Amino acid sequence: MRLRGLLWFNAVFSIMPVALWASAVVEGRVELPKSHTAPVQAKRYEIVTKGGVLSTQPPLAVVYLDGAFPNLASLPTKQVAQKDLTFVPALLPVPAGTKVEFPNLDDTYHNIFSYSPAKRFDLGRYRAEERPIPTQIFDKPGLVTLRCDIHEHMRGLILVLNTPYFVMTDTDGHFRLSGLPAGRYTLKAWIDSRTTRDKPVELKNGQTLHVDFP
Amino acid sequence: MKLRVLSLCAFACTACAFDIDDFFDRLDTALTISAFHDNLRARLSGTLDLEFYNFEQPPAGLIISDVDNLFNPRLTLFLDAQIGSQIYFFAQSRLDRGFDPSDNGAQIRLDEYALRATPWDDGRFTAQIGKFATVVGNWVPRHLSWENPFINAPLVYENVTSIRDKSAPVSVFDFIYGPYYYEKYAFNPVIWGPSYASGISLSGRLDRFDYAVEMKNASLSSRPESWRVTESGFEPPTFSTRVGFRPNEAWNFGFSASEGPYFRREAQSTLPPGRDIGDYKEFVLGQDASFAWRHLQVWVEFYEARFQVPRVGDADTFAYYIEAKYKFTPQFFGAIRWNQQLFGDVSNGYGQSTRWSPDLARIDIAVAYRFTSHTQLKLQYDYQHETTAPGDDNHLLAAQFTVRF
Repeated sequence: MRLRGLLWFNAVFSIMPVALWASAVVEGRVELPKSHTAPVQAKRYEIVTKGGVLSTQPPLAVVYLDGAFPNLASLPTKQVAQKDLTFVPALLPVPAGTKVEFPNLDDTYHNIFSYSPAKRFDLGRYRAEERPIPTQIFDKPGLVTLRCDIHEHMRGLILVLNTPYFVMTDTDGHFRLSGLPAGRYTLKAWIDSRTTRDKPVELKNGQTLHVDFP
Repeated sequence: MKLRVLSLCAFACTACAFDIDDFFDRLDTALTISAFHDNLRARLSGTLDLEFYNFEQPPAGLIISDVDNLFNPRLTLFLDAQIGSQIYFFAQSRLDRGFDPSDNGAQIRLDEYALRATPWDDGRFTAQIGKFATVVGNWVPRHLSWENPFINAPLVYENVTSIRDKSAPVSVFDFIYGPYYYEKYAFNPVIWGPSYASGISLSGRLDRFDYAVEMKNASLSSRPESWRVTESGFEPPTFSTRVGFRPNEAWNFGFSASEGPYFRREAQSTLPPGRDIGDYKEFVLGQDASFAWRHLQVWVEFYEARFQVPRVGDADTFAYYIEAKYKFTPQFFGAIRWNQQLFGDVSNGYGQSTRWSPDLARIDIAVAYRFTSHTQLKLQYDYQHETTAPGDDNHLLAAQFTVRF
């Protein structure tokens, strides 16, 4: 009877949302770099060319709590689409172990690949309507640069993190990271491939901490 | 211990490769400029190719060299500029030892420049003016070193025939046996590489069909010097067209045709009396198909060409190739290409017919490794065999290291 009670306790505890037992909050602002110039698509040898305005997504930062946390039992599948010859979203933070789908929403081929040490793969050419949608599991922390072998200007990033506690800033750099466990940690702000800022933080249950990354 | 050192080296190389990629990505950002809220954007990019060839004399294709080992470095710079959504400009400049591999000294050229207008966003119509690659066939989109699975071009784009554009043959024998007496650069292939001739083109897509038509100042077989508008005028021009059908993303079919005079101005004095360079034309019909799925790509092209040759008559040739590329791993791919060119007969004036050039077959095999997304090494072996002449077989080994930025 006692054992059954323990099992029930474990089962309930394991499916409880993280936010219910980890209640610290960090908010603040990250100083973002200037907006990138929209890429120029090379169309020299294309008989058929469509319009030349490519969307550019403003720079965003990823703020995450660094530390040793237990792996999440199940992770939702994420998507990085190819739409209008760009990656959408251009930056995707995921916890290690996440499966990412790469749907092609254009009416032309794409060939997504990465030579990054954190994940090396080449999906080859596949049609928009092909099922299943090609996927990759990102199980090693690090930055993965996505490219297209057909469209040289296309570039996307997947930031694979060793933590379940992360959030993307808005375009002004503001962030709010909630449901954090109490304790001493390092709060990091990933800004680009060469810039990650960090600050030590001490979190207490029920407390909202304000941290800026100038 | 050895394993540990090897692991350390592998880790260092990987880390280094990642740094190189990061460096080139930053360089790309630095070489892209914009103004007027991104409505005017320009990007400078390029490739550095270090090529090495080992061959038997005479070298096959358009290689011009008296020595059997040739080092052929090439720096290519591209400028791509976009003004709003409708205007696009591009230019290509090269610093190398000649348009085709040669043992000449260094030269710098402006190989391509073109202004393109696309009035509608759906791509139904595009107009382009300048000096740019031909619309014929399906090889042009992959002719640059980074996209080309091989180091050289398919046989039909580089095999010099008995056709020469600077002077007319004085007899059938002069025409057929000319290649034994004159230097190779006097002669022309059916299509000279990507044929960056000057002119205008109109192109677009209508549902699953696409079309392109161009008016250029030089025929497909014309040499690079003839492509400049200052060198050859449009009297008379060369017209080329291609109609494509794309049932889906995997398949692409095309039909091409071209017609235009192939003699240069200086050949006028060698023509029969009363004839003009406009009286002798090159006619080309082409059929192409391509297929791509996952890691496999296949291309095939067929060309039927006719040259109107003074004092000889019509000289016909048929050439084709089939090419396949397969990526074995994300960074390693292999390619194989089978080429053949067959020549028709011409009358020798004594009631007999003679083949006007020896039939050829060539197989090209290449492997390539991409160290990073900006650096690539290709190795290639070619075996060429003259199937209707006692000519020697020809072997070619080539290596090409490319840095793309």
